[in-house]
Amino acid sequence: MAAEIMTVEVAQASAAGMKAIGAGLAVGLSGFGAGIGEMGIGAAAMGAVAENKDMFGIALLFTVLPETIVIFGLVVALLLMFQ
Amino acid sequence: MFQPESMSRLLIVASKQQLGPVITELFRMNIFHIDDYVEKGDEEFEGFRIGMPLAGADVTSAALVKIRSIASAFGISKDTVSDTKRSSLNELKRRVEQDLPAIAEDVEKLLAKKTKHESSVKEFEQRIEALRPFIDAPAPLELLQGYDTVSFIAGNVKGPINLSVPCEIWEKQSKSGNFVILAVKNSDVSTAEKELLDFQIQKVQIPSETGSATQATYEYEQKILELNKEITELETQMESIRSKHEIFLMSSEEFLSGDVEQAEAPLRFATSEHAFAVTGWVPTSKATKVFENLDAACAGKVYVSELEVEDYNEMPPVEYDNPDFAHPTQLFMDLYSRPRYTELDPSMLMAIVFPIMFGLILGDVGYGLVLLIMALGLRSLVKGSEAGMQLVAVLRNCSISAVIFGVAFSEAFGFSLPWQPVWLSRHINIGGSGAAEPAIEELAAHGMATSAEHVSHIPQLLVLSIWIGILHITLGRLWGLRNAAVMDHGHHRSLKMYANVGWILVMWGILIAIWGNFPIPLMPDLSGTPELVAGMNIATIAGIVILVLGLVLIARENVLDLMEVPTIISNVLSYTRLIAVGLSSVAIAMVTNFIAIDMIITPQLENLSIVGIVLIIFGIMAFLFGHTLNTALGLLGGGLHPLRLHYVEFFTKFYRGGGKKYDPFGMVRKLTEQN
Repeated sequence: MAAEIMTVEVAQASAAGMKAIGAGLAVGLSGFGAGIGEMGIGAAAMGAVAENKDMFGIALLFTVLPETIVIFGLVVALLLMFQ
Repeated sequence: MFQPESMSRLLIVASKQQLGPVITELFRMNIFHIDDYVEKGDEEFEGFRIGMPLAGADVTSAALVKIRSIASAFGISKDTVSDTKRSSLNELKRRVEQDLPAIAEDVEKLLAKKTKHESSVKEFEQRIEALRPFIDAPAPLELLQGYDTVSFIAGNVKGPINLSVPCEIWEKQSKSGNFVILAVKNSDVSTAEKELLDFQIQKVQIPSETGSATQATYEYEQKILELNKEITELETQMESIRSKHEIFLMSSEEFLSGDVEQAEAPLRFATSEHAFAVTGWVPTSKATKVFENLDAACAGKVYVSELEVEDYNEMPPVEYDNPDFAHPTQLFMDLYSRPRYTELDPSMLMAIVFPIMFGLILGDVGYGLVLLIMALGLRSLVKGSEAGMQLVAVLRNCSISAVIFGVAFSEAFGFSLPWQPVWLSRHINIGGSGAAEPAIEELAAHGMATSAEHVSHIPQLLVLSIWIGILHITLGRLWGLRNAAVMDHGHHRSLKMYANVGWILVMWGILIAIWGNFPIPLMPDLSGTPELVAGMNIATIAGIVILVLGLVLIARENVLDLMEVPTIISNVLSYTRLIAVGLSSVAIAMVTNFIAIDMIITPQLENLSIVGIVLIIFGIMAFLFGHTLNTALGLLGGGLHPLRLHYVEFFTKFYRGGGKKYDPFGMVRKLTEQN
């Protein structure tokens, strides 16, 4: 059935859709990864800051470390969408 | 500039008669960073002990404690006192002796009275609370206690109760359960209590009051009203004392804390029976001033000399020496760690690069202006806090940079401005299919995507950000080379220097090898170079050679460091966040505009109706909400990501930190005159 209505336009549109799905997965899944990574660090960082306010800078830094993963996901998504 | 202020180490020795004048003069100059004397049996300090505080330190401290307790009761601090005429020290001294005891006594009396009243109020409130269940009680409270043969039990129970012993029960229904008062014979009390446990009784003490509970409650409420009136009156009295003496209190706090610090200074000195010695640091440019001033203060009866310094790496305290525009970024340096004396101080570079990165991320005229106005508005709010002022100054610089990049990107709140972006565009297509021509034209009419061509600049922008990363990291390694050359010694020094070169070689080797294989926009294309062996062209082979050479240099310092080699790639790619985070904020802005304007407002404007107007207002609210959120995100993302790029990607290449803060003996007087 599907083969009968498959035209060039449909194929192009579905390729574009696949790209969009891929981009979404890249951002979404890497977001999950970063979230899981930041979970433990964030909790520990809050503890450290509660004990010593001077730790704030370093704590914040450690907390955002796993964010790189999302950035990679975002870059992959951008390349998928715009190249 | 890229180095902290140069410091000289001074030794001051004099007889004990000169202790007072020397301390006063050092305190006045506010440039001498005292090295605390620690008794550890150094030969040169044999026979020296830690000194005793000057006479009168205890009296001054006592007065200071008094003033601080009054200040905390009033909730005043130096920052809350506005600029006024500075008080003279002699005048203050006289007033501290004459007026302070009386003021302290008044305040203490008022405070004691207030505390007493407040505790009475609390007690009465508790009694009212205890009386509450008995408001409907069938008998006056005095009849519920004090019998020889009958006892009363009161409490909250679940469900209607039913006891085996003879008793009289009064029950009141309420939402949470039943409140009961029951009278039983003394001999039956224990049986009754045991049975009441089955009804989950929570016993309530019967208040020892007379008359009805309503009457008693009313009386207590009256008392509380009276007490509150008195408390207000006391507060007015305290307020009048506060406004009358606020400036005196705060200026004498400053005066006395200066006095106490001076009186306790000998605790940081080395003293013998008749003499004292102290070492410390002054900025080299001001060393002669110390010589001259001390000489004048002690009429020549003091010996000051500059000492040789053995290890510059650890000892001197660090004071930044940067041009004015770089002062705000010192906050970020202190947040991480103060540089050591001999190492490079990157605050000036950060002062330039940080706002550029922020601008690259936010790059929007609208948001930039909003943040600029915010920064200017916040300035008056953070007056008095140095860190706050620094932060606001950084925000100001960053928002100016965001406006400049916004002009270059031709963006304002996600709309494109009436000119083409300079060089590279990051306009993206939201709410339409990117491929179809008519859709793009339609979107262009709404000011969203100007043309399909602009959409394709994103790979170039990503490459641009990678270039920033490559240069930033190469600079970091070069500085690492310099720091190793200056700060390390012996065999380790040369290994470390070579390792830094090795890291640079590995990075560029990888780059050249990539260029040899893939053409990348904005980067040299070496894929056309002639093939040499095994299908590899010259560029690839050159890249691999450089890479291997670099690996060898790294391995010579520490083989385990080879494990870190992949971080080169992740560190460089990490810089793509400059564009990626920026694009996400562009996308949010455009989506907000699309939802608010194209989906809600425009269709309604075509067919105005009452419902339409409500929807338009709703659309405007969605517009404001979206952009407020995006401003906050832009501020957070634009600030945190460049900071992280500096701390994690850049500083780890060269920065050591751990310098001691230069903290001169003395104070900046705000309210008192210099003596």
